[in-house]
Amino acid sequence: MVAMRPELLKGHLDALLLAVLEPGPRHGYAVIESLRAGSDGTLDLPTGTVYPALHRLERAGLIGSDWETVGGRRRRTYHLTGAGRAALGEHRALWDEFSAAVTALLGGTRPAPA
Amino acid sequence: MSPPAGTAVEGPVRAYLDRIAAGLHGPRRQRERILAELHDGLTQAIADRAARGEPGAHATAGAIAEFGRPEAVAAAFAGELATGFARRTLITYVATGPLVGIWWLLLLRPDPWHTGPAALLAAIPILPLIIVTLVAASGALATTGRLMRWLPEAGPRRALAATLTVAGLTAAGDLLIVGATARAGALVGPLAVIAVGAGLARLGYGVGTLIRAVGLLTRPA
Repeated sequence: MVAMRPELLKGHLDALLLAVLEPGPRHGYAVIESLRAGSDGTLDLPTGTVYPALHRLERAGLIGSDWETVGGRRRRTYHLTGAGRAALGEHRALWDEFSAAVTALLGGTRPAPA
Repeated sequence: MSPPAGTAVEGPVRAYLDRIAAGLHGPRRQRERILAELHDGLTQAIADRAARGEPGAHATAGAIAEFGRPEAVAAAFAGELATGFARRTLITYVATGPLVGIWWLLLLRPDPWHTGPAALLAAIPILPLIIVTLVAASGALATTGRLMRWLPEAGPRRALAATLTVAGLTAAGDLLIVGATARAGALVGPLAVIAVGAGLARLGYGVGTLIRAVGLLTRPA
Protein backbone atom coordinates (compact mmCIF):
# COMPACT_ATOMS: atom_id res chain seq x y z
CA MET A 1 0.00 0.00 0.00
CA VAL A 2 1.30 3.47 -0.90
CA ALA A 3 0.91 6.26 1.68
CA MET A 4 -0.83 9.26 0.16
CA ARG A 5 1.22 12.42 -0.24
CA PRO A 6 -0.13 15.36 1.79
CA GLU A 7 -0.29 17.60 -1.29
CA LEU A 8 -2.80 15.20 -2.88
CA LEU A 9 -5.12 15.90 0.02
CA LYS A 10 -5.11 19.66 -0.52
CA GLY A 11 -8.67 20.87 -0.22
CA HIS A 12 -9.84 17.70 1.54
CA LEU A 13 -7.76 17.74 4.71
CA ASP A 14 -10.19 20.02 6.56
CA ALA A 15 -13.08 17.67 5.81
CA LEU A 16 -11.07 14.59 6.85
CA LEU A 17 -10.10 16.15 10.17
CA LEU A 18 -13.67 17.24 10.84
CA ALA A 19 -14.92 13.75 9.99
CA VAL A 20 -12.42 12.13 12.37
CA LEU A 21 -13.65 14.38 15.18
CA GLU A 22 -17.32 13.73 14.44
CA PRO A 23 -17.69 10.67 16.71
CA GLY A 24 -16.17 12.50 19.68
CA PRO A 25 -13.23 14.52 21.04
CA ARG A 26 -9.68 13.35 20.26
CA HIS A 27 -6.18 14.58 20.99
CA GLY A 28 -3.78 15.38 18.14
CA TYR A 29 -1.98 12.05 17.99
CA ALA A 30 -5.30 10.17 18.21
CA VAL A 31 -6.46 12.18 15.17
CA ILE A 32 -3.36 11.04 13.24
CA GLU A 33 -4.01 7.45 14.33
CA SER A 34 -7.70 7.66 13.38
CA LEU A 35 -6.82 8.93 9.90
CA ARG A 36 -4.35 6.08 9.50
CA ALA A 37 -6.67 3.38 10.88
CA GLY A 38 -9.79 4.69 9.13
CA SER A 39 -8.07 4.58 5.74
CA ASP A 40 -6.27 1.23 6.23
CA GLY A 41 -2.97 3.06 6.30
CA THR A 42 -3.47 5.09 3.11
CA LEU A 43 -3.74 8.39 4.97
CA ASP A 44 -0.50 8.24 6.95
CA LEU A 45 -0.08 11.97 7.41
CA PRO A 46 2.94 13.55 9.05
CA THR A 47 2.78 15.42 12.35
CA GLY A 48 3.71 18.63 10.56
CA THR A 49 0.58 18.38 8.43
CA VAL A 50 -2.02 17.40 11.00
CA TYR A 51 -1.21 19.57 14.05
CA PRO A 52 -1.00 22.93 12.18
CA ALA A 53 -4.18 22.02 10.27
CA LEU A 54 -5.98 21.41 13.57
CA HIS A 55 -4.79 24.79 14.86
CA ARG A 56 -6.04 26.49 11.69
CA LEU A 57 -9.46 24.81 12.02
CA GLU A 58 -9.67 26.03 15.60
CA ARG A 59 -8.85 29.56 14.44
CA ALA A 60 -11.73 29.27 11.97
CA GLY A 61 -14.06 28.21 14.78
CA LEU A 62 -14.79 24.82 13.22
CA ILE A 63 -13.26 22.92 16.13
CA GLY A 64 -12.54 23.81 19.74
CA SER A 65 -9.95 22.47 22.16
CA ASP A 66 -9.60 21.82 25.88
CA TRP A 67 -6.50 21.18 27.95
CA GLU A 68 -6.39 18.47 30.58
CA THR A 69 -3.66 16.71 32.54
CA VAL A 70 -3.07 13.07 31.69
CA GLY A 71 -0.29 11.07 33.34
CA GLY A 72 1.36 14.27 34.57
CA ARG A 73 1.51 15.88 31.14
CA ARG A 74 -0.73 18.43 29.45
CA ARG A 75 -3.04 17.11 26.75
CA ARG A 76 -5.00 19.15 24.24
CA THR A 77 -8.23 17.52 23.13
CA TYR A 78 -10.14 18.74 20.08
CA HIS A 79 -13.88 18.63 19.54
CA LEU A 80 -16.21 19.59 16.73
CA THR A 81 -18.19 22.83 17.12
CA GLY A 82 -21.66 23.47 15.73
CA ALA A 83 -20.09 25.41 12.86
CA GLY A 84 -17.71 22.51 12.27
CA ARG A 85 -20.60 20.04 12.10
CA ALA A 86 -22.34 22.25 9.53
CA ALA A 87 -19.11 22.63 7.53
CA LEU A 88 -18.65 18.85 7.55
CA GLY A 89 -22.14 18.45 6.09
CA GLU A 90 -21.26 20.91 3.31
CA HIS A 91 -17.96 19.11 2.63
CA ARG A 92 -19.80 15.79 2.37
CA ALA A 93 -22.32 17.15 -0.12
CA LEU A 94 -19.53 18.65 -2.23
CA TRP A 95 -17.52 15.44 -2.05
CA ASP A 96 -20.48 13.33 -3.19
CA GLU A 97 -20.91 15.57 -6.21
CA PHE A 98 -17.18 15.76 -6.96
CA SER A 99 -16.46 12.06 -6.52
CA ALA A 100 -19.46 11.07 -8.66
CA ALA A 101 -18.21 13.33 -11.46
CA VAL A 102 -14.60 12.10 -11.24
CA THR A 103 -15.67 8.44 -11.02
CA ALA A 104 -17.86 8.91 -14.09
CA LEU A 105 -14.85 10.18 -16.02
CA LEU A 106 -12.05 8.02 -14.63
CA GLY A 107 -13.72 4.88 -13.45
CA GLY A 108 -16.04 4.09 -16.35
CA THR A 109 -15.44 2.32 -19.62
CA ARG A 110 -12.96 3.86 -22.03
CA PRO A 111 -14.54 5.67 -24.95
CA ALA A 112 -14.58 3.75 -28.19
CA PRO A 113 -12.04 4.98 -30.75
CA ALA A 114 -13.48 7.31 -33.37
CA MET B 1 12.61 27.32 24.92
CA SER B 2 12.70 24.02 26.78
CA PRO B 3 10.09 21.27 26.59
CA PRO B 4 7.04 21.64 28.83
CA ALA B 5 7.97 22.45 32.41
CA GLY B 6 6.91 20.22 35.25
CA THR B 7 7.03 17.06 33.21
CA ALA B 8 9.65 14.33 33.16
CA VAL B 9 10.96 14.38 29.61
CA GLU B 10 13.37 11.58 28.83
CA GLY B 11 16.69 12.08 27.05
CA PRO B 12 15.92 11.39 23.37
CA VAL B 13 12.46 12.96 23.60
CA ARG B 14 13.90 16.03 25.32
CA ALA B 15 16.63 16.35 22.68
CA TYR B 16 14.04 16.00 19.91
CA LEU B 17 11.71 18.61 21.44
CA ASP B 18 14.68 20.93 22.05
CA ARG B 19 15.53 20.81 18.36
CA ILE B 20 11.92 21.59 17.44
CA ALA B 21 11.84 24.42 20.00
CA ALA B 22 14.94 25.95 18.40
CA GLY B 23 13.06 26.20 15.10
CA LEU B 24 9.85 27.74 16.46
CA HIS B 25 9.56 31.52 16.16
CA GLY B 26 6.52 33.44 17.30
CA PRO B 27 4.45 34.18 20.41
CA ARG B 28 5.91 32.45 23.46
CA ARG B 29 2.60 31.04 24.74
CA GLN B 30 1.77 29.58 21.36
CA ARG B 31 5.21 27.94 21.15
CA GLU B 32 4.79 26.48 24.65
CA ARG B 33 1.42 25.01 23.68
CA ILE B 34 2.85 23.48 20.51
CA LEU B 35 5.67 21.85 22.47
CA ALA B 36 3.30 20.57 25.15
CA GLU B 37 1.05 19.09 22.48
CA LEU B 38 3.94 17.44 20.64
CA HIS B 39 5.32 16.10 23.90
CA ASP B 40 1.97 14.51 24.71
CA GLY B 41 1.62 13.07 21.20
CA LEU B 42 5.14 11.68 21.24
CA THR B 43 4.67 10.13 24.69
CA GLN B 44 1.42 8.53 23.50
CA ALA B 45 3.12 7.21 20.36
CA ILE B 46 5.90 5.66 22.48
CA ALA B 47 3.32 4.11 24.85
CA ASP B 48 1.35 2.67 21.90
CA ARG B 49 4.50 1.11 20.46
CA ALA B 50 5.51 -0.29 23.83
CA ALA B 51 2.03 -1.78 24.23
CA ARG B 52 2.51 -3.54 20.89
CA GLY B 53 5.63 -5.16 22.32
CA GLU B 54 8.42 -2.92 21.06
CA PRO B 55 11.35 -2.63 23.49
CA GLY B 56 11.73 0.79 25.19
CA ALA B 57 14.56 2.25 23.12
CA HIS B 58 13.06 0.98 19.86
CA ALA B 59 9.66 2.38 20.77
CA THR B 60 11.16 5.80 21.47
CA ALA B 61 13.30 5.84 18.32
CA GLY B 62 10.36 4.62 16.22
CA ALA B 63 7.98 7.26 17.59
CA ILE B 64 10.54 10.03 17.01
CA ALA B 65 11.11 8.81 13.43
CA GLU B 66 7.34 8.70 12.93
CA PHE B 67 6.99 12.34 14.00
CA GLY B 68 9.54 13.44 11.41
CA ARG B 69 12.67 15.57 11.24
CA PRO B 70 12.53 18.25 13.95
CA GLU B 71 13.43 20.98 11.46
CA ALA B 72 10.55 19.93 9.20
CA VAL B 73 8.09 19.76 12.11
CA ALA B 74 9.14 23.22 13.33
CA ALA B 75 8.91 24.65 9.81
CA ALA B 76 5.38 23.26 9.45
CA PHE B 77 4.25 25.46 12.35
CA ALA B 78 5.81 28.66 10.91
CA GLY B 79 2.58 29.75 9.21
CA GLU B 80 0.41 29.26 12.29
CA LEU B 81 2.96 31.04 14.49
CA ALA B 82 3.21 33.98 12.07
CA THR B 83 -0.58 34.23 11.90
CA GLY B 84 -0.79 33.98 15.69
CA PHE B 85 1.72 36.80 16.05
CA ALA B 86 -0.18 38.94 13.52
CA ARG B 87 -3.54 38.39 15.21
CA ARG B 88 -2.20 39.05 18.70
CA THR B 89 -0.53 42.27 17.55
CA LEU B 90 -3.59 43.51 15.66
CA ILE B 91 -5.84 42.78 18.64
CA THR B 92 -3.42 44.76 20.85
CA TYR B 93 -3.60 47.73 18.46
CA VAL B 94 -7.40 47.62 18.24
CA ALA B 95 -7.84 47.17 22.00
CA THR B 96 -5.36 49.84 23.07
CA GLY B 97 -6.30 52.36 20.35
CA PRO B 98 -9.06 53.96 22.43
CA LEU B 99 -6.72 54.13 25.47
CA VAL B 100 -4.36 56.36 23.47
CA GLY B 101 -7.02 58.13 21.43
CA ILE B 102 -9.11 59.24 24.42
CA TRP B 103 -6.32 61.54 25.65
CA TRP B 104 -5.90 63.17 22.25
CA LEU B 105 -9.67 63.54 21.98
CA LEU B 106 -9.82 65.25 25.38
CA LEU B 107 -6.87 67.48 24.45
CA LEU B 108 -8.01 68.44 20.96
CA ARG B 109 -11.80 68.18 21.22
CA PRO B 110 -13.55 70.78 19.08
CA ASP B 111 -15.22 73.81 20.55
CA PRO B 112 -18.66 72.77 21.91
CA TRP B 113 -20.21 75.39 19.62
CA HIS B 114 -18.69 73.77 16.55
CA THR B 115 -20.01 70.25 16.41
CA GLY B 116 -20.30 67.72 13.61
CA PRO B 117 -17.86 65.67 11.55
CA ALA B 118 -16.21 68.71 9.90
CA ALA B 119 -15.34 70.29 13.25
CA LEU B 120 -14.04 66.96 14.57
CA LEU B 121 -11.91 66.48 11.45
CA ALA B 122 -10.52 70.02 11.75
CA ALA B 123 -9.61 69.38 15.41
CA ILE B 124 -8.20 65.88 14.85
CA PRO B 125 -6.94 65.80 11.23
CA ILE B 126 -5.65 62.23 11.46
CA LEU B 127 -9.18 60.81 11.78
CA PRO B 128 -9.19 59.40 8.19
CA LEU B 129 -5.89 57.68 8.96
CA ILE B 130 -7.41 56.14 12.09
CA ILE B 131 -10.38 54.86 10.08
CA VAL B 132 -8.14 53.33 7.38
CA THR B 133 -6.01 51.68 10.10
CA LEU B 134 -9.07 50.25 11.82
CA VAL B 135 -10.43 48.89 8.54
CA ALA B 136 -7.05 47.25 7.74
CA ALA B 137 -6.80 45.70 11.21
CA SER B 138 -10.42 44.50 11.21
CA GLY B 139 -10.06 43.04 7.72
CA ALA B 140 -6.93 41.08 8.66
CA LEU B 141 -8.52 39.82 11.88
CA ALA B 142 -11.67 38.77 10.04
CA THR B 143 -9.84 36.88 7.30
CA THR B 144 -7.56 35.03 9.73
CA GLY B 145 -10.29 34.22 12.27
CA ARG B 146 -13.81 32.88 12.37
CA LEU B 147 -14.98 34.90 9.39
CA MET B 148 -12.54 33.10 7.10
CA ARG B 149 -15.28 30.52 6.65
CA TRP B 150 -17.06 33.07 4.46
CA LEU B 151 -14.29 35.48 3.43
CA PRO B 152 -11.13 34.66 1.45
CA GLU B 153 -8.58 33.40 3.97
CA ALA B 154 -5.48 35.53 4.48
CA GLY B 155 -2.28 33.51 4.56
CA PRO B 156 0.52 34.18 7.04
CA ARG B 157 2.41 36.56 4.73
CA ARG B 158 -0.69 38.64 4.09
CA ALA B 159 -1.48 38.71 7.81
CA LEU B 160 2.07 39.89 8.56
CA ALA B 161 1.85 42.50 5.77
CA ALA B 162 -1.41 43.79 7.27
CA THR B 163 0.26 43.95 10.69
CA LEU B 164 3.15 45.97 9.26
CA THR B 165 0.65 48.29 7.53
CA VAL B 166 -1.30 48.84 10.75
CA ALA B 167 1.91 49.43 12.75
CA GLY B 168 3.16 51.87 10.11
CA LEU B 169 -0.11 53.80 9.86
CA THR B 170 -0.41 53.99 13.64
CA ALA B 171 3.15 55.27 13.99
CA ALA B 172 2.51 57.82 11.24
CA GLY B 173 -0.67 58.95 13.00
CA ASP B 174 1.06 59.28 16.36
CA LEU B 175 3.97 61.27 14.86
CA LEU B 176 1.65 63.51 12.84
CA ILE B 177 -0.59 64.37 15.77
CA VAL B 178 2.31 65.04 18.12
CA GLY B 179 3.99 67.21 15.47
CA ALA B 180 0.84 69.13 14.54
CA THR B 181 -0.11 69.75 18.16
CA ALA B 182 3.41 70.86 19.04
CA ARG B 183 3.46 73.28 16.09
CA ALA B 184 0.13 74.71 17.23
CA GLY B 185 1.63 75.24 20.69
CA ALA B 186 -1.07 73.10 22.29
CA LEU B 187 1.25 70.65 24.03
CA VAL B 188 0.79 72.14 27.48
CA GLY B 189 -0.61 70.76 30.70
CA PRO B 190 -0.87 67.27 32.19
CA LEU B 191 -3.32 66.09 29.52
CA ALA B 192 -0.74 66.78 26.82
CA VAL B 193 1.93 64.92 28.80
CA ILE B 194 -0.33 61.86 29.11
CA ALA B 195 -1.36 61.99 25.43
CA VAL B 196 2.24 62.29 24.21
CA GLY B 197 3.37 59.60 26.66
CA ALA B 198 0.68 57.20 25.42
CA GLY B 199 1.59 57.96 21.81
CA LEU B 200 5.30 57.39 22.46
CA ALA B 201 4.59 54.12 24.26
CA ARG B 202 2.65 52.94 21.23
CA LEU B 203 5.47 54.07 18.96
CA GLY B 204 7.84 51.89 21.00
CA TYR B 205 5.48 48.94 20.62
CA GLY B 206 5.32 49.69 16.89
CA VAL B 207 9.11 49.52 16.56
CA GLY B 208 9.14 46.14 18.35
CA THR B 209 6.33 44.92 16.09
CA LEU B 210 8.21 46.05 13.00
CA ILE B 211 11.37 44.16 14.01
CA ARG B 212 9.50 40.95 14.87
CA ALA B 213 7.23 41.03 11.79
CA VAL B 214 10.14 41.64 9.41
CA GLY B 215 12.04 38.83 11.16
CA LEU B 216 9.14 36.42 10.60
CA LEU B 217 8.65 37.57 7.00
CA THR B 218 12.28 37.18 6.03
CA ARG B 219 12.92 33.92 7.87
CA PRO B 220 13.63 31.15 5.37
CA ALA B 221 10.89 28.50 5.29
